[in-house]
Amino acid sequence: MTAAATFPRKGVALAGASRHAIFFVLAAVYLVGLAVSPAFAEPNYLFNVLRQIAPVGIAAVGVTLVMILGGVDLSVGAVISLTAVLAASVMAGNPGNIAPAILVACAAGLGIGLLNGVIAAFSRVSPFILTLGMGVAVMGLTQMFTGGTAKGIVSPGFREFFNFRVGGLVPVLALALLLLAGIGLFIEKATTFGRQLFLVGTNRAAAILSGLPVRGVTIAAYALSGLFGALAGIALLARSGVSSTVAGQGLEFQVLAAVVLGGTTFVGGRGGIAGTVAGTLVLVIAFNLVNIAGLPHQMQLIVMGGIIILASALYGRISERVG
Amino acid sequence: MPLLEVRNLHKHYPGVAALQGVDFSGDAGEIHAIVGANGAGKSTLMNLISGVTAPTGGEILLDGAPVRLTSPLAAQAAGVATVYQEFSLVPQLSVARNIFLGREPRGAFGLVDEARLNADAAQLLLRFNIGLDPRIEVSGLSVAEQQLVEIVRALSFKARILILDEPTAVLSLSEQDNLFAIMRQLRGEGMLILYVSHRLEEVLAIADRVTVMRDGSKVGTRPIADLSMDSLVHMMIGESRRSTPQRSAVPADAPCFDIDYTTADGTQAITVQRGEILGLAGLVGAGRTTFARALVGAGGRTAATRITVNGTALNNRTPEAAMRGGVVYLTEDRKRDGIFAGIDIIGNATAAALPLLGRLGLRNRGSEREKSQSILHRLRLVAASLDTPIGKLSGGNQQKVVLGRALMMAPKLLVIDEPTRGVDVGAKAEIHDLLRELAMQGTAMIVISSEIDELLGLAHRIVVMSDRRFVARMPVEAASEAAILTAAAGGTMTNEETA
Repeated sequence: MTAAATFPRKGVALAGASRHAIFFVLAAVYLVGLAVSPAFAEPNYLFNVLRQIAPVGIAAVGVTLVMILGGVDLSVGAVISLTAVLAASVMAGNPGNIAPAILVACAAGLGIGLLNGVIAAFSRVSPFILTLGMGVAVMGLTQMFTGGTAKGIVSPGFREFFNFRVGGLVPVLALALLLLAGIGLFIEKATTFGRQLFLVGTNRAAAILSGLPVRGVTIAAYALSGLFGALAGIALLARSGVSSTVAGQGLEFQVLAAVVLGGTTFVGGRGGIAGTVAGTLVLVIAFNLVNIAGLPHQMQLIVMGGIIILASALYGRISERVG
Repeated sequence: MPLLEVRNLHKHYPGVAALQGVDFSGDAGEIHAIVGANGAGKSTLMNLISGVTAPTGGEILLDGAPVRLTSPLAAQAAGVATVYQEFSLVPQLSVARNIFLGREPRGAFGLVDEARLNADAAQLLLRFNIGLDPRIEVSGLSVAEQQLVEIVRALSFKARILILDEPTAVLSLSEQDNLFAIMRQLRGEGMLILYVSHRLEEVLAIADRVTVMRDGSKVGTRPIADLSMDSLVHMMIGESRRSTPQRSAVPADAPCFDIDYTTADGTQAITVQRGEILGLAGLVGAGRTTFARALVGAGGRTAATRITVNGTALNNRTPEAAMRGGVVYLTEDRKRDGIFAGIDIIGNATAAALPLLGRLGLRNRGSEREKSQSILHRLRLVAASLDTPIGKLSGGNQQKVVLGRALMMAPKLLVIDEPTRGVDVGAKAEIHDLLRELAMQGTAMIVISSEIDELLGLAHRIVVMSDRRFVARMPVEAASEAAILTAAAGGTMTNEETA
């Protein structure tokens, strides 16, 4: 083969930069933290941070898959609430019920995800509206199920297991986050399905015409997002022990912020779970910096909103230039 | 003195001379048709006169005085109005608002004077006997009515020259008569109408003079009285050219694809044999692409096909199902639904074949690369690296990758829409060679092309579509550019049904 026509170098370089930008941001934010507080040098503190963000991080893995496809999942906050309450109720304070509780919660999340996926695959509803509506409906379902108050009792041993520190240092919950992110990364990189996500997200019309199983891929992506949402619900229950009816409320925005920050855009076909993990870390470090700075807790919301807008705008600009 | 005159007009695009020294003139009170095959330079000439693009040489004169039409606005101001094939109306606004868009009469506080606006519009509509309420929204109008609004808007600029580009393509017969009546009225008022059309029968019915273009040059201008359908077609194609490429014989006992094509107009049958290349000819808008997409279940709700292979029905309800049955369609619009622009060459080539290359849902990157390499080598793809995003490749290379994607699925019936559109000459020949090779190996093919030369060089048999119908079928030995063009333009068939 002879040499090809020249390709615009700048575009390729920028594409590379955009793919790795979040890791530079993570390094920068971490250095800022280090400068502000010596706590950032302590492994104990860092693993605590990881434990703290585990529910958001786990849910973000699933939402990343949907967003690579060109969709979005706003129902994930409601799924977290529902599955946390459901798990606590099944446990009912009995250690023998932990496994069934986790299974029931996962089944519920998977079911909601499947429903999202089927509707997304067979109708023309915008995924924003679809999953927003689904989130509201699931919230109503949770309220009906609980009667509007906290319900269920966490079994003894459940929280102890997930908060146990391996080697006296690493909480199981943090390990769970890393394990699930690893599984997500495997799905993204090593499976046919993962590749198809990117193809559909890049050009849905071409994917349909090329004979890709676009509907199947869509359903599977939303189902996985529901399943990861359920696992996030269990993680939240393990972290807080509280099974209130609104435990996951608003978490969908943290999830969205983490994913978008990681370089997975609303347009689809771009990004990935490695970026999402980094985005999650940047988000939680930013939250902690807000706390350290002595700013009111509500500032976190403002930071989060700003991050979603800024990251979207920046990535939009970069991909525009790359074409 | 002619109202409009162009002298020695040139237009060069990088690598292409779209117009090569055209002289042309039109008089006030004339309907002047401009005809020619696709790519003859009609649109380029009209674009220069309507100020859409600037000529690279020559001059344009109005009333004998040279003018520089640097923009559509400048042309409008000089009295040249254009109605395009694609309409430019704002659907949410009323008829009157659209007619006077940007020039609405103002009343108190600078608000639009609705009463005067509607009255002015009503007056204009009345002048041309168009029974439309100026107050209704354009979105509620039929296509023909929208076209009339478009014409009225063009005329409201006090135009003296009106350019109509394929105006009847979207009209029914009665709507067409209505349009012709308006055209004759405008001619009576001293307007010059430049009428671009593929439909030769209509040209012969309405025009006063006809200018024929071919390959960027003017062949000649003739008064209508000196012309017939035959002489017009002859002028359009010139001396008949025919290449004689190698062509394999279609085995007589080969299994074949029997296709029933059903639209609102009824059901028609067509057959393709194993190892046969069927060329599908027709003008833009004849419904070739709709038919081709329907073959893989992507034709929309109004068109459906039933494919039987040796008597067994094939599931072609979705592209996915059709692909399993061995039927693959390649789009005419690569950017829209052909390529995955941001994804590398390997990803594009293996998009459909991923499950075949991997195992148990897991990818096999090694075999993805290997398979891409071997198939793209066969297609003589030139690229620095298979990891280059496909969007950065030339049109020819993109087409090769998309073709490679189809070949990985080993199709039995390959449907290719405009296989060499936007493809350079070298790649074009390579793609042609490959299609012939595939046919020899037994693949059945339907090739759609607007280039008649391409079909004559590739196909074993030609089917012509016009107005969603298969109007002529001919073995390539009996086919000629003239016969195809005549059939496509809706003229009398010169060939008997032979297939």
